[in-house]
Amino acid sequence: MADETARAEAEGQVAEVAAPATANPNSPYAWPKESRLLSTRVNRIDGTLKVAGKAKYSYDMQRPGMLYARILRSPHPHARVVSVDLGPARAMRGVKAALTIVQPGAKVMYVGDEVAAVAATSEDIARDAIRAITVRYEVLPFLATVEQALRPEAPAVFEGGNVKESQVEEEGNLQAGFAAAAHIVEQAYNTQVQTHVSLETHGCVCEWDGDKLTAWASTQAVHGTREGFATSLEIPQANVRVITEHMGGGFGSKFGPDVQGVTCAKLAREAKAPVHLLLDRREEHLASGNRPSAYARIKAGVSADGMLTAFDGETWGTGGAGAASGFPLPYIYAFPNRRRVHKDVYINAGQQRAMRAPGHPQGCFITEMLMDELADRVKMDPIEFRIRNLPPQAPNAMWREYFKIGAQRFGWDKRHATGDQAPGPIKRGMGCAANRWGGGGRGTQAQCEILPDGGVVMRCGTQDLGVGTRTLMAIITAETLGLPVSAIKVELGDSNLPFSGGSGGSTTAPAVSPAIRVTASKALQELAGRVAPALGVPADQITASDGRVHVKGDPSRGLSWADACRRLQTTPISVNGQWEAGLSASGTSGVQFAEVEVDVETGVAKVSRILCVQDCGLVVNQLAAESQCIGAMIMGVGYALYEDRILDRNTATMVNPNMEWYLVPGMSDVPAIDIMLMNQPERGVIGIGEPPTISTAAAIANAVANAIGVRVRSIPITPQKVLAALDGERAGGTL
Amino acid sequence: MTHPVPESRLVTPDLHCAHLRHKGMYVLSTPDPGEAAHAGRWDATAYWCTRTQKASGPDGNAANAACCVAGNGRNCCH
Amino acid sequence: MKPFAYVKAANEHQALAALTRERGKVLPLAGGMDLVSLLKDHIAEPDRVVSVKGLDATITAADGGLRIGAATRLVDLHQHAVVSAQYKALAEAAAEVGTPQIRNLGTVGGNLLQRPRCWYYRNEEFACLKKGGARCFSVDGENQFHAILGGGPCHIVHPSSLAVPLIAFNAALRIVGPRGEKQVPVEEFFELPDRNLYGETMLRPDELVTHVILPPARAARSATYEVRFKQSHDWPIAFASVALQMQGSTVAEARVVLGAVAPIPWRSPAAEAVLKGQTMSDALAVKAAEAALADASPMSHNAYKVQVARTAVKRALLQAAAATA
Ligand SMILES: Cc1cc2nc3c(=O)[nH]c(=O)nc-3n(C[C@@H](O)[C@@H](O)[C@H](O)COP(=O)(O)OP(=O)(O)OC[C@H]3O[C@@H](n4cnc5c(N)ncnc54)[C@H](O)[C@@H]3O)c2cc1C
Ligand code: SF4
Repeated sequence: MADETARAEAEGQVAEVAAPATANPNSPYAWPKESRLLSTRVNRIDGTLKVAGKAKYSYDMQRPGMLYARILRSPHPHARVVSVDLGPARAMRGVKAALTIVQPGAKVMYVGDEVAAVAATSEDIARDAIRAITVRYEVLPFLATVEQALRPEAPAVFEGGNVKESQVEEEGNLQAGFAAAAHIVEQAYNTQVQTHVSLETHGCVCEWDGDKLTAWASTQAVHGTREGFATSLEIPQANVRVITEHMGGGFGSKFGPDVQGVTCAKLAREAKAPVHLLLDRREEHLASGNRPSAYARIKAGVSADGMLTAFDGETWGTGGAGAASGFPLPYIYAFPNRRRVHKDVYINAGQQRAMRAPGHPQGCFITEMLMDELADRVKMDPIEFRIRNLPPQAPNAMWREYFKIGAQRFGWDKRHATGDQAPGPIKRGMGCAANRWGGGGRGTQAQCEILPDGGVVMRCGTQDLGVGTRTLMAIITAETLGLPVSAIKVELGDSNLPFSGGSGGSTTAPAVSPAIRVTASKALQELAGRVAPALGVPADQITASDGRVHVKGDPSRGLSWADACRRLQTTPISVNGQWEAGLSASGTSGVQFAEVEVDVETGVAKVSRILCVQDCGLVVNQLAAESQCIGAMIMGVGYALYEDRILDRNTATMVNPNMEWYLVPGMSDVPAIDIMLMNQPERGVIGIGEPPTISTAAAIANAVANAIGVRVRSIPITPQKVLAALDGERAGGTL
Repeated sequence: MTHPVPESRLVTPDLHCAHLRHKGMYVLSTPDPGEAAHAGRWDATAYWCTRTQKASGPDGNAANAACCVAGNGRNCCH
Repeated sequence: MKPFAYVKAANEHQALAALTRERGKVLPLAGGMDLVSLLKDHIAEPDRVVSVKGLDATITAADGGLRIGAATRLVDLHQHAVVSAQYKALAEAAAEVGTPQIRNLGTVGGNLLQRPRCWYYRNEEFACLKKGGARCFSVDGENQFHAILGGGPCHIVHPSSLAVPLIAFNAALRIVGPRGEKQVPVEEFFELPDRNLYGETMLRPDELVTHVILPPARAARSATYEVRFKQSHDWPIAFASVALQMQGSTVAEARVVLGAVAPIPWRSPAAEAVLKGQTMSDALAVKAAEAALADASPMSHNAYKVQVARTAVKRALLQAAAATA
């Protein structure tokens, strides 16, 4: 590795090493060299609760006297609210509170924008009551599509323009780059708007006790949501408590109370009763975030010997009403000469929010499609071509190695040249793509109690989005204290617990794991101090393993865990600890391979198998890390083939705000999934939530091209697009 | 103990409105220099105003790092 | 949803008595797989809902064929021994409907009477022609799943998976109403939007479908071929059911019906004529498929459905010919 880095530096290339890319082996809290639980397959400690239906999600919260709220949303894509009359709703039996969200005179910017809300004794009454509210709108011109917004004659809908152009990014000398090219590819690519489709919808249950607010919220940040409630409601942050016991996903879209959370709290205050306000599926699609679309027009050059020479890209996309749509491009591969301009195009649609690896799947799809097109031009195997043009290898840039081992595992040598020549309508093909992500976290605090009866409690104000954070905390505590996982009681998902940051950017595992390791180690040191007199050795000679607290290197000289704790008599050990550097790192890399079957007589593509080769530093729980990969790849299959927020081009109203026409993969659409998790224990913990979703769609799209011999340069790859691409080819188009 | 602080490149207490938010302000990350070297200047930040909890401020105009700055004539700015 | 009165009818007689002549005011509820979502989405707003789960739910032999009660669940239909042996096209279609949950609750009657899935129709915001509005939003809108045959002024596609094979088998429906009972061929039951914009069938609001009457299978070789994008929880883009009377390898008689391509199940006499008296082969199936779609007039974004439908016809024919009688 050191040689590789030195060579890269000698060649004047930036080595990819992140600091600290390697965990500090001399840290007093260093991860054990031989671990009992770390990197093994540990079942979720809350798994049984979940499968038995006993885990209580925010949606499931039931409070005495609880009311149900609904939000009235704009039916217009762009309008000024002239008046809102809550009277008819308030007059209905069972309605206990009502409020206006958009004040008269203000504007609504998309279909689904919040206008008013009602709380009532049942959800049905609340639904009927919002329909009774009368709103007068002054309907304004709107933009339903990117094409409409880009037209010169488009109405000026957004303050400061419908289009926001970014700075030009430029490096090297484009002209020289294209002059050095033996082949040039000029193509257009595009990706759709994808919505998060969290199975648990956004929202919360709010309850006031005097001037104190408790919110059971579906959130990725209990502390952040506390701050959001307080600033929005103008109440002291100390008076707010946010609880997220179990959560059904957020994927980047749940970082604050949102309009519905604050509305819920206000309704609860007015009604003097707890209020349940969680969105329905339609509202999720319309107003709780999405991944922006991406469009690219690219000209790229490659030399005769397969080296990238130049990249000139013009890109645009929409993040909805007034929101950004940027993405990294070119992605990963080294184009020595490049230029890129991006435009944010605003339309009257719900705004984007961070979504699982924001920007990366778009940049990856476009770049990796282009890479295959360039490889075809120089008649080179796509993997060989990629390896030539990758940045130098480093712990956070392992693509060269991963492509090689992945190719072998996947059977890449059986890949045919572009276009399956086999007879019959079913064509098979393979494709691949790479990804990179940061995934470094910090700043988490934790508290550990060792109780005189032997009980252990680990507390941390992080939240478990459904990814297994609760289990991760138990594993690390158990590993450190020499106890079984089942002996650890974990508390999380509560803003009253020690601070931890929001769960985004794949930072939770690398932020939380070190904090738990440090805190559990400190608690053990404390216990060692209490039993040292009995063992007759100094405290620093004492350790714990296999349920015993004993002299280091001699398990027979010690006490059982229970006996050791009994010496605490009436006073538990209670210590606080926090994240320290040297136990986690940042910077992951991975590659994926896909094999597809495409029916050229129907245009239906089906993914038959996917392989992901992915690292995340030290693997804490093999099972949970694999399940992150599985979920991420299934999401990638949806992005590649099915998911699409379809707005009616004439009304800017979504036609598929449900799960009937907004297609997400079902069980029978999920391919065979293979995972090679590359453990890098020497680097410490890195997050894995996002990277494995990045390359799935790109690998699938390349596999489709390899199968049918024609490129579909737009996702989702629907039968409509596949058949159109095949028709285009028959009509004499080129690959 | 050194206490964690957010490091938002995009929103600063001196320049920007105190109500402007984005996800990065709630997430404590450590950067990957490799990524930074390759990322370029793309921006996919989704902003919101914590007063309205929406992507637009109390005045109905977009909330983002370019608009929600001192001296921009927005009287919702703090 | 709008509040409504609920009547639980124990039998045909009680159910009929609870209906009225006014359209949309009283609606039968069978498995509820369709109706409940219409109610929740304010697409249907009846004053009264009449449970018709008490209608006949059995499959019995009758006149050499079968008599299928309207309340028969889809799962019981496709698992029925005679249906799956002699009426393969029907069993295959029933087995593919929606998801196991839908087949466990959905009934034969409800399946035939289900309302269209046009996404403009199903979203309350769009006051489209079919809902009494002024325009069909699909015409210059998102029409990738709309009709390629027989459309106008409304361009829905017929949703029922069962109606298509039932026409291939020349089945009839037993209909009861205040004026007595009658039998109507399934083929004549459905009506195009230029004739009936607000409904899709000839059934009056005060009538019920109580039975499907399947004539003897006469050793027909049959098949249903559906082209679905997603394999689970999705609708076919296009599908075809065919029933062939074979003499050796010669097609003596053929019935070819397409689903999801037109506002009604679309029988293709042209394809049937191509097949009659010919020896079944790949080339013949292709020719028949081409004939079936010869008159297709796609909208702005659904031309691909022509190719999809052609494939469905071709494959249904080949599958049927290869099947045992
Ligand atoms: C996700 C999804 C996928 C689906 N996929 C398919 C598919 O692939 N193919 C398919 O065919 N269907 C599909 N369906 C539709 C499914 O609802 C029907 O197939 C089901 O059979 C309806 O039966 P039901 O008994 O539940 O009808 P209900 O919902 O109870 O009734 C439907 C309609 O029929 C009327 N009705 C019911 N019984 C009678 C009667 N005896 N006489 C007169 N009127 C009556 C009702 O008033 C109502 O208008 C799907 C549905 C969903 C939600
Ligand atoms: S196709 Fe029919 S149901 Fe659909 S929008 Fe047009 S009129 Fe309405």
